Amino acid sequence: MKSFTHLRVASGYSFKYGTAHANQLVERAAEFEMPALALTDIDTMAGAIRFTKSCEASGIAPILGINLSFVQKKYRVTLLAQGGHLDSLYRLVTEINSSSSDGLLTHALLERFSQYSKNILILHGPESQLAQAIASRKSAEALSIFSATRGLFADQAVECVSHLIRGDGPLSTSYAARMLGFARDNQLPAILSNAVRMLDRSDGPVADVLDAARKLVPLSSKTVNRQNSEAYFKDSSAMAHLADEISRLAGERDGKTLLNTTTDWAARAILSPRKDVGIGEIHLPDPASLGAKNQIELAAQLRSRCEAGLSRRYVGAKSVVAASRLEEELSAIRTLGYESYFLTVADITDMSREKGIRVAARGSGAGSLICHVLGISGVEPITHGLLMERFCSPLRGELPDIDIDVESARRLEIYGAIFEKYGQRCATVSMVETYRSRHAIRDVGAALGISPMEIDLIAKSMPHIRSSNIPKALANLPELKHLNLDTPILKMAIELAGRLDSLPRHLSMHPCAIVLADSKLGDCAPQQINASGYPMVQFDKDDVEAIGLLKLDVLGVRMQSAISYTLSEIERIEGKPLDIDAIPLDDKQTFDLIKSTRTLGIFQIESPGQRELVGKFAPDTFNDLIIDISLFRPGPVKSDMITPFLATRHGLRIRPRIHEDLEDILRETEGVVVFHEQVIRIISVMTGITLAEADEKRRQLGDIANQQAVCDWFYPAALARGYTDLVVTEVWEILRAFASFGFCKAHAAAFALPTYQSSWLKTHHTAAFLAGVLTHEPGMYPKRVILDEARQWGIKLAAIDVNLSDATYRVERTSDVARAPYLAPDVASSGEPLKLPDARGFAIRMALSDIDGIDSKEVENIISGRPYLDLADFVYRSGASRPTTQSLLMVGAFDDLHKLATSNLNRRDLLLHLQDLYRLAGSKSTTSQSQMTFELQPPRLEPSGLPDITASEQVKSEIDILGMDISSHLLEFYGDFLNKIGAVRSSDLIKHRSGTSVLVAGVKVALQTPPVRSGRRVMFLTIDDGFGCNDITFFEDKQADFASTLRNSWLFLVRGEIRRTGPRGISLLGTGAWELAISYEKWRNLAVYGASGTHE
Amino acid sequence: MFEESITPITPDPISARVLAPEGEPIEFIYNGRKFHIHAIVSRWRESGGWWNRISDGKNRVTEANIFDDGARAIWRVEAAPEGALSTFEIELDEVTKTWLIRPTSRPL
Repeated sequence: MKSFTHLRVASGYSFKYGTAHANQLVERAAEFEMPALALTDIDTMAGAIRFTKSCEASGIAPILGINLSFVQKKYRVTLLAQGGHLDSLYRLVTEINSSSSDGLLTHALLERFSQYSKNILILHGPESQLAQAIASRKSAEALSIFSATRGLFADQAVECVSHLIRGDGPLSTSYAARMLGFARDNQLPAILSNAVRMLDRSDGPVADVLDAARKLVPLSSKTVNRQNSEAYFKDSSAMAHLADEISRLAGERDGKTLLNTTTDWAARAILSPRKDVGIGEIHLPDPASLGAKNQIELAAQLRSRCEAGLSRRYVGAKSVVAASRLEEELSAIRTLGYESYFLTVADITDMSREKGIRVAARGSGAGSLICHVLGISGVEPITHGLLMERFCSPLRGELPDIDIDVESARRLEIYGAIFEKYGQRCATVSMVETYRSRHAIRDVGAALGISPMEIDLIAKSMPHIRSSNIPKALANLPELKHLNLDTPILKMAIELAGRLDSLPRHLSMHPCAIVLADSKLGDCAPQQINASGYPMVQFDKDDVEAIGLLKLDVLGVRMQSAISYTLSEIERIEGKPLDIDAIPLDDKQTFDLIKSTRTLGIFQIESPGQRELVGKFAPDTFNDLIIDISLFRPGPVKSDMITPFLATRHGLRIRPRIHEDLEDILRETEGVVVFHEQVIRIISVMTGITLAEADEKRRQLGDIANQQAVCDWFYPAALARGYTDLVVTEVWEILRAFASFGFCKAHAAAFALPTYQSSWLKTHHTAAFLAGVLTHEPGMYPKRVILDEARQWGIKLAAIDVNLSDATYRVERTSDVARAPYLAPDVASSGEPLKLPDARGFAIRMALSDIDGIDSKEVENIISGRPYLDLADFVYRSGASRPTTQSLLMVGAFDDLHKLATSNLNRRDLLLHLQDLYRLAGSKSTTSQSQMTFELQPPRLEPSGLPDITASEQVKSEIDILGMDISSHLLEFYGDFLNKIGAVRSSDLIKHRSGTSVLVAGVKVALQTPPVRSGRRVMFLTIDDGFGCNDITFFEDKQADFASTLRNSWLFLVRGEIRRTGPRGISLLGTGAWELAISYEKWRNLAVYGASGTHE
Repeated sequence: MFEESITPITPDPISARVLAPEGEPIEFIYNGRKFHIHAIVSRWRESGGWWNRISDGKNRVTEANIFDDGARAIWRVEAAPEGALSTFEIELDEVTKTWLIRPTSRPL
């Protein structure tokens, strides 16, 4: 029997329609010994590359097509690329997507782009207009439909499909037979397909759930169209049987002709994975895009730009070293032909800087001197021992990957500039969102009509796991214990959710990737216009890499926006600009601040874990920061690289010296291998191979399967160079153990730069920096914690003021006396005294945009109407809504305007006045959003004699309206209680011995329960008490008693045991946690009634 | 599709013994008489409504498949006992593997 080729197959990339992954379909085709297979997803070609890669791996010839609406939304046809003409299909799909949002192909489009369509095959299947005409027995009309597209395509065929539906409607055998009969009567080609959407017959329920999710309706006999499960991937004999049945019903002897035509058409559409799809190709930006005529000119351009950058950045002896390194790198780039890539990236970073947008490189690209001298990366690679070879080398089979970090707030400006300059040569990249447990359970629940509350409970407690792990997750979640998960409906729901596992749901834009190619980009990838209005290739980042499109990641980094904002505030306040990229990297005071662990707001080192690490580590240099960032990752933490490093660093352990040749390499990290660069150097030094070759060995080491091969090579190579057996063994053990945990130093160094810059700014321009952090929120802490941080450095928090506040946080000079700044207490074990910032004399003015419910238009209007004479004037002109005005009033935005501090008026009087104003304005004003008109003179504002609101009422309003406590810290209301019970301030913990049990209090900042490999859950609680943060660890033995308090409370009283871990490293081991208000009540009752006993 | 619906005069299907050595029925015994199938007029498959069976508690679950999608294959055949030709529908309930049969033209 001849093999059948399925020409119409929808995979999971037919979003919420296809139930099978592309690779499963390919595997099934291989199992059935089919020579070729088509992928014809609905409205997208997003699966093309993955499908082709699977096909290539299974030895199956790929065929690519698409199923789309034609003429009218309700009619669908299938297009197939002819062999050698995939580019035409891509181009046509791009044109369809650019001219209509719903992907509708029209005759007008076809005529306009017939240069593409004439290379494309079209199948008129059971959903086509043609089929409709045949079914209504309008042969003449059918023939005219067929003729209308005759010249527009390479060829067209009638597609017969029988899903063995009862009766004679679409997808029944008799419908297929009628289409076959029409084709025969008019001498048109007819092919057989099974319009596949499932792998197996048993996938019907999954298809129903997807249909329901797509149509947003629950399952019912009215909403489900599926009448049976025949749309599955049938084998050749089942298809031959169908061919016979259809053909006989059409009056033919058997299905041979139908099958033969299908085989012929498959042969015409077969593609070459390499030649047609372009797997393994490379498409660099062409010289013309950079104003060069050819590759030679490009090389000259790169050289001259690099040399110019080099002479600006290097002087004296260093410049000689740098010049020779540059030659090496340039020659490697020459060999690879990557000149245009480097120049393009440099061009983009230049364009950004011209617009005043901060740019920093991230990733291994920082190891390249070319990147540094072209201005792509700010880190100087030679001093820090960064290697080009780790980034890109002629030995590597993959494209280098440069990522740039830009100000998050202005990222799209850079996109705009790139698209303006590079046009058709660039596009954004897509990202396939797949079904994970939460979505799966929600969609299944909605389809099955399970109560939303029940589904919500299950979905919310689902961590982001694969949906196939749902049953296991459910069994382990205590909050779901009371749900009866054994009911048939829930069991079914969970099973179905598992079946949706990792099926694609939606194609969205990759958050930061852009492909940069030549003008042939449109031939290599189909594009659509995404929701943000950018052209987007339908392929994801792995796909574009597979077909050799270079991509640039433009990441929005909030810290860069915060730094930029800080710099603008500094310039505004001090009157002169600051070049943050030119500050020295060895500022002692900056490292003092880092060592004090007061790092809130600083890039990379503000988390509780990092604060503990910098407290232990006490970094002194920029290189220490690089090490710190490299150590704070799961690998080094788990393999305990930190302990030996710190022990040696603090003089508790003598550094092992393996061999003098390795001293230079290992000294910086106290003999511990931390960086990839060290591994590369060690291998190169001990075996005499080049750094590029050594990097290849390092890569092999990362895979356990290859380790033995590297070992077999390393031993003789190193022994031959005269190293003793002992040394070689010791080094090998280190390489084997640490190669996989190591970190790319260039990447860490690229991160260390903004870490240092933000530390420097916090040290020397504390108020401006914290204003930047408040405005752009780069970190993990809520604003109220950052505000308290500002308070602790002596900065005054200035209330919102209608005449002074902006949309963002502004720095002001002030003569008001604020509290004394934090001084790191010194004890015998805390190392040398630290000099910390004193930010007295500065205030941070709260921002209008923090008012609950205010919108940006309102903010704009309020600002443009300034100055306001009084409340009445504000109500009259600002255009602010009544709730906004009332909120402003409640948080004190009119206090200074009405001089409440010195007059006999208070906020309650203002509130009454506001009511009067609105009453007078009458109902007319409510119709108009903008400005109100008073018919009479505004009412007079007079003291009413009512008492002013209390301090605690004020803080309550602030929390309600702004989400922050500004006028005083929440804990101040418990000050008396906390002093009486002897609670310790976070800033004073260091004065206590390790092992002491203490009480601390605070407001919840974060509660983290990271997954721990041992399976035992650890809860990390961070609370702030107005003097800093306490970080408390609760192990499992304490969780039974306190977990629910930890989860549900906001204000805490915590008992813990102090752990001193380094000069200024402190953590608390939690032994108890109570809700502060409850403890306070108990204490007050005890105090009042004089009962005995402790507060517990 | 009115021509396909079963008219009220059609009797209810009853369980029957069907000979189907290669999956397609050849012979069956109906009302105690042995019928030979002369031709298959048409065949189709039906399934669906699995969600109703869950809520009704009528889910016939097997090891291999926990969804009872009610899959059935139906043949409309021309069959005759001893030379008398008539039409039947023979249905294989694929979940329970039992055969059902009903005449769709009046048996002689």
